[in-house]
Amino acid sequence: MNKTIIRVENLIIAFGNFRAVDGISFEVSKGEIFGFLGANGAGKTTTIRALCGILNPTSGRVFVNGKDVAAATSVLKPHIGYMSQKFTLYPDLTVYENMDLAGSLYGLDRETVRRRSAELFDFIGLKNIPKGPVKHLSGGVKQMIALASSILHDPELLFLDEPTAGTSPQTRTSFWNLIRQLAAKGKTVFVTTHYMDEAEYCGRIVLMQRGRILALGTPEELKERYFPVRPKELTFCVHKQQETAQKIKRENWGLVSVFGSKLRVYVSNQTAFENFCRNSRDIFTCHDVPPSLDDVFLKAISGDK
Amino acid sequence: MKTIIRPILSIASKETKHIRRDPFTLAVALLLPLLFVWFFGFVINLDYHNIPLLVRDNDQSRSSRELLMQAGAAGYFDVVAVHSPAEAEKALQKNSMKGLLIIPPGFHDNLTRGDVARAQLLVDGSDNTLAALMNMYMQGISAAAQQALAVPRASEPNMIRTRYLFNPELNSRWFIVPALSTVIIGFLAIILTALTVAREWENGSMELLLSTPVRPFEIVLGKLLPYFALSFFDALLVFALALIVFHIPFMGSFLLYLLACTLFIIGSLALGLLISVLTRQQQAAIQFGFAIGLLPSFMFSGFIFPIENMPLFFRWFTGLFPQRWFLSLSRSLFLTEAGFKELAGPFAALFIFMFVMVALAVKKFKTDVEP
Repeated sequence: MNKTIIRVENLIIAFGNFRAVDGISFEVSKGEIFGFLGANGAGKTTTIRALCGILNPTSGRVFVNGKDVAAATSVLKPHIGYMSQKFTLYPDLTVYENMDLAGSLYGLDRETVRRRSAELFDFIGLKNIPKGPVKHLSGGVKQMIALASSILHDPELLFLDEPTAGTSPQTRTSFWNLIRQLAAKGKTVFVTTHYMDEAEYCGRIVLMQRGRILALGTPEELKERYFPVRPKELTFCVHKQQETAQKIKRENWGLVSVFGSKLRVYVSNQTAFENFCRNSRDIFTCHDVPPSLDDVFLKAISGDK
Repeated sequence: MKTIIRPILSIASKETKHIRRDPFTLAVALLLPLLFVWFFGFVINLDYHNIPLLVRDNDQSRSSRELLMQAGAAGYFDVVAVHSPAEAEKALQKNSMKGLLIIPPGFHDNLTRGDVARAQLLVDGSDNTLAALMNMYMQGISAAAQQALAVPRASEPNMIRTRYLFNPELNSRWFIVPALSTVIIGFLAIILTALTVAREWENGSMELLLSTPVRPFEIVLGKLLPYFALSFFDALLVFALALIVFHIPFMGSFLLYLLACTLFIIGSLALGLLISVLTRQQQAAIQFGFAIGLLPSFMFSGFIFPIENMPLFFRWFTGLFPQRWFLSLSRSLFLTEAGFKELAGPFAALFIFMFVMVALAVKKFKTDVEP
């Protein structure tokens, strides 16, 4: 069993009457890539802020490296890297000015900053570092530089709040290569994302909804837990998707979602649905598909309602 | 030691870059002082001329004629003689006259005997600025008349206060321009820093700063440094303009003046930071900055309304505002040769102000992002 680096005990964060985080508990092991998934407003960013020590819990406790974050922020901060979702870099400073600032706040000297930056940029595949202010750079490049600046000081624990939002597929690939490399070196990466395909790269994931944890486990565990029966995919030979979807919903045979011209059904009443399929062979064909995390997420959310 | 200095310098250097690359901040910091000096130095002239003044001379002596001649010659008054109380009353009621000077019988005799000789000045009080000025001019005039008559030193025909001795030409610029640095620093310094922390809260960079090991006092000091340089430059600019453009004498100690500027600037910058720390919004910070920076600079500093003329409560109340202390230091250092001993009170007040503001800005600095 790996060493626990984060322990969250019944964390509640309330703003007035609104509970942004509503009693969550989990543990993260050292060297893990831990994914936090959920819609906007699910409480992901709020949780990260509490873990970074920049937001005080209303109740409950958060431990990092066995130390209570609320009490030991100044001891923990040098070992934490944080990439915020809202703000990445000072737009009027150049790339290296931003890196120098980030590094110096962690006590790195200029040479170390330059050497580490070069390594990181090289790894991410960022060439020809622009000389001008950061505001002229594209969103993806900015995200990459922000990621590099948050790991300049080689933190034990890295919090990435939607690091790949608005970036190109290539950028996302190099991001995840870097994250995997960090985890291989024993660093713990705590990452939130909107992209379910990215969640597949995580060791374990948490699904959050309205401040609560819906599900926690490895992607495989969650798929098995939510889909003992595999999702069905209906391929149509005539144009009757809408009527079919409505009928399945009306008869309460399962959940339906639209995938292009196909329908995907998470069946709840298996016998009735199989009958329906047999009788509708001239309208569609039905076959099993492996569940994705999208399927897990949709099903988990519908179960919560 | 190095670990303390470095984060401060990093923040300061980042802040300097923000200032250098933001044309608006630079424009405000450099043009506002010039605008103020131009406006208050040239456009607004608090010296009135040709104020219509009725005169009733009941003494008809050498002294009374000398006094009236001086009054007419100074250019401040247009003297109109009246010869009966009824005539005076009629003219006053027509509202065309701003004042009435009555010289009592025996004025000359009292004066030459060395007794107290008093002429009465009735002033239209509906314009209190004008009224105060008329009083001031008349005292200057009587002093001049006294000199011309070469009366014994012991007798002083009107009330002459030492306050005006330092500005014998009764030139309001001598009074206004040294006080301008109060308004400029007291306003500009607060506005400049009021925006900085609020801006970082609004764009989210504060969240990132707080996630690093940097401590509040390092952020506060780091932000103070470059703005101090900028404000100090402004103070020197106004000082130079006062001497070169307005030919205002500087009688006091330049070192003391620099010390006063330093205390006042740091205190005001920290006050701006405090506003920023508490409001965390640029809009609100600007509004507070105007209310706390601009209003007291004009109203409670003695810049426009003399503190001596305020009711007791307000005289004490103005003591809460550093602008008052800096203004009195600035005027004293420009127009008198006062040393540190005479000015210890205002210096102590400014020091307390600076210390309290920096301490509060650090203490109130929020280290969590709770809304």
